[in-house]
Amino acid sequence: MMPAAQRADFAACSGCSLCLLVCPAWRRTRDLRDTPHGRAKALQHGVAVVELKESIESCTLCGACEPVCPENIDLVGMLLELRRQLPPMILTRNITTNMQAERPRENVTLSASTPALVAGGMYFGRPALLARIKTLLGSARGITVANDNGADIALALEIGATVPPQRIERFLAPLRAHKTIVLTDGLLLRQVRAWLPEARVAGLGEALGALAPLRRQLRAGDLYVIDPRAYHADHERLVTHYDGLRAETGCTLNLDLQRIAIPATARSLRQRLGADAIDDAPQLRWLLQGRTIARIVVESESDRFAIGQLCTLPVVHLAELADDPSSPEGKQS
Amino acid sequence: MDTAPSNPLPPCPVGPDSLIAIKRQQTNPARWNGANWAAFAVALRAAEVELLESLAACGAFATDAGGTAYGMPHGVVIARDARQISNLLKTAQEHGVPVTVRGGGLTTEGESVAFGGVLLDMTGMSRVKSIDAAALTVRTECGIFWHSLAEELRREGLDYLSAPLNLTSTVGGSLNVGGIDVNSPRLGCSADQAVALQVVTPTGDIVECSETERADLFQRVILGYGQFGVITEATLKVRRYTPLRMHYFYYSSLRTAVEDLQILDRNDASDYSGILTIMDSAVNLLVAFDSDEREAAFNAKWRARLRGHGEFGFALRAIPRYALRPWKWPEALYLWQRKRQLFPEFRRPEYLRDGLMHDRTVVFSRAVWKFWGSRQMVIPDLATSAEKFIKAVERGNAVCRKYFPYYTLYCVGIKLRGDHKPHYEMSCIPPDATGWAYGCEFEPVMDRVYSRDHLQSFKNEIYDIGVNLGASYYRFGGMMKGYIRRALGDEVVDRHLAMKRKADPAMILNRDVIF
Ligand SMILES: Cc1cc2nc3c(=O)[nH]c(=O)nc-3n(C[C@H](O)[C@H](O)[C@H](O)COP(=O)(O)OP(=O)(O)OC[C@H]3O[C@@H](n4cnc5c(N)ncnc54)[C@H](O)[C@@H]3O)c2cc1C
Ligand code: SF4
Ligand code: SF4
Repeated sequence: MMPAAQRADFAACSGCSLCLLVCPAWRRTRDLRDTPHGRAKALQHGVAVVELKESIESCTLCGACEPVCPENIDLVGMLLELRRQLPPMILTRNITTNMQAERPRENVTLSASTPALVAGGMYFGRPALLARIKTLLGSARGITVANDNGADIALALEIGATVPPQRIERFLAPLRAHKTIVLTDGLLLRQVRAWLPEARVAGLGEALGALAPLRRQLRAGDLYVIDPRAYHADHERLVTHYDGLRAETGCTLNLDLQRIAIPATARSLRQRLGADAIDDAPQLRWLLQGRTIARIVVESESDRFAIGQLCTLPVVHLAELADDPSSPEGKQS
Repeated sequence: MDTAPSNPLPPCPVGPDSLIAIKRQQTNPARWNGANWAAFAVALRAAEVELLESLAACGAFATDAGGTAYGMPHGVVIARDARQISNLLKTAQEHGVPVTVRGGGLTTEGESVAFGGVLLDMTGMSRVKSIDAAALTVRTECGIFWHSLAEELRREGLDYLSAPLNLTSTVGGSLNVGGIDVNSPRLGCSADQAVALQVVTPTGDIVECSETERADLFQRVILGYGQFGVITEATLKVRRYTPLRMHYFYYSSLRTAVEDLQILDRNDASDYSGILTIMDSAVNLLVAFDSDEREAAFNAKWRARLRGHGEFGFALRAIPRYALRPWKWPEALYLWQRKRQLFPEFRRPEYLRDGLMHDRTVVFSRAVWKFWGSRQMVIPDLATSAEKFIKAVERGNAVCRKYFPYYTLYCVGIKLRGDHKPHYEMSCIPPDATGWAYGCEFEPVMDRVYSRDHLQSFKNEIYDIGVNLGASYYRFGGMMKGYIRRALGDEVVDRHLAMKRKADPAMILNRDVIF
């Protein structure tokens, strides 16, 4: 994907509406104002950012709109910038203050040739899963798990808080030693790729999905749920990766006809922050509608949790596939 | 013989040889003066219809895909259900407030732009109500984008019949204007796929209509440019989904390609056919099939008769043609560059599996927006009988050459249904067409900023050809109003105007599109 700096801004929006077709926020409200199209046109007419607050907060940051935009507008970057321009919430102020106070946390770096894993908080809450991921990704040379997982930076990006440059630097410093960095958070991944253009930055799904033993566990009847944020951040390249996965394994992907990922959940900022009630059911219903599936395989632990709450089908994290008793190899072990 | 009508006006200072016989129209209709707006807004809210008046809501609808006609509604209503639209229209009739209906807004002459009054955004009503896989029909709300409908149908292994080759036109918009696909030479236009409709009349009645129930209304609403009601729901025919077997043939002569296209259509030799050109130098006839059997039959009987070549054969013939004409090298360079950009887009591996093209509308639409889309899109068109088509294309092509260095022509046939003659009256289907009508879009590549006058003069010259040949147009609206009367004649326009006055006493619904 072209660096954000070289991409167009809202002024280039032609109003083609292609972003609506993939936008889960639009699917929820069917209100043009809650879409990149609506925001871009409002800004073109000189509407003040604060008047677009509801729209800006409705975005799930799934990134689906970006690869379909024929004008190549940096839509996610634009949304993040608009959030930064909104009057700060209390949380925004607090997080910036905390980030300024953050102390450096050294990684125990095995060697530059090992990949670094930046795992979100959810994975630390599931040590067995994290251990499994480490074993899978580090099988050849070991793996360095970042002590500083940048969770505060990810949250700051999401809510539009300013991230002090020193905090970014403290987060990146230990990562600079690694040629390959694997991240579980798709929003952070997008930024790390921009901050460290020399490194090979991959999402957890892509990294695990490249492993033959895991691919062998996928089969027809599986619905494979790609993590939308990571996928859309590098859509042009990953569309081929996943098409290969589908062709090789026969699994069904959560892709629409434009090969854009349908998110399992579509939560607005307020829902993510717990200010509004969460209702994942309509989005999940759309994901599953008309599909005959026996098992759901997810790349993201938060998807596993959300789908598991509402769905009776077995839901397995990609890293756990080999342990799944219903897998061919899982049964043997 | 063509006879150019004499010109009663002095020559246009911008395009002195355009605007033949047509009084220069304002591109934008005058804005409605806003009389009674405040009282209307109060009454509408009392009827529990949400009215958005902010700049953020209104500004999003200031123009259509054409980007040359600009208006600004006084307020926007997002369609939610037939009852709400009924309340809106009743209140609007009472207060004389114009209501402009907008689907995907892919018009290019301002038909879906509100020059004041209310803009009714139909995309708020975009849910599929039910799919009957056995009867091969779908019931859907009409603000749905064809692509969203395709997404839902595909989960059931189904597909729509024919729809515009762009993802964001809506079912309601297309039923109003036509909806032409590369399978229209075989299946007709989208408007012909409707089995039954729910319509909210301009006076606010919610009614169901079909060939057998309120047939008069059904005939007027289909291909009716939104004059006789808001289409809120439709039952459409659908079919089983199949990927395509695509073939491309390249020509250096427009005439030969059009002749071959018409031979294929007349003989039902393919399931899909159409012409897409890079100027008139590389003319691509695309031919495609839904099944191996149909493809095999084409290969056995028709393939050798086509005069086009494969990519390689065409290139071999083009080299000496350009080598001997150094003044044409810039054109050759453009062709080569365009080919290098375009061809990979049509062969993306995620859409091309085992030699079959999946999701053709996605492939074509992506390419359309990527290579032809811009903030201004000028796509005048001519719709003629089969017999007049070559002449229309050649004359339109000459106009394109005159105004722009680079452009594209898109030609396709539309199979007509004998029993739908009443639907076709005063529509893009020309009155003299039988069997098939043919449409050609003339689309300049916006390689630089062109003045409005330049673009307008170009459109006028294309539309003049229609008047001259006795053709019709796909795009009505805005400055087209004068052309509709001239091309289709006073008798038919006045008859429709009388019907419109009866159905819409305050003349509020979709003003300035035809009347
Ligand atoms: C890039 C591009 C490519 C195109 N390609 C094609 C193509 O391949 N084939 C083709 O046929 N056309 C094509 N068109 C033209 C366009 O697709 C048609 O104009 C389209 O079908 C209109 O659908 P819409 O939803 O955008 O309608 P709109 O543009 O929103 O409206 C069209 C007209 O119908 C009225 N209307 C809309 N919805 C309703 C409703 N529910 N009830 C009553 N009135 C209504 C509007 O007031 C307006 O007069 C193209 C246009 C563009 C810009
Ligand atoms: S990031 Fe996702 S939710 Fe936000 S505007 Fe784009 S598609 Fe919609
Ligand atoms: S896809 Fe891009 S250009 Fe089209 S409406 Fe959305 S933001 Fe605008």
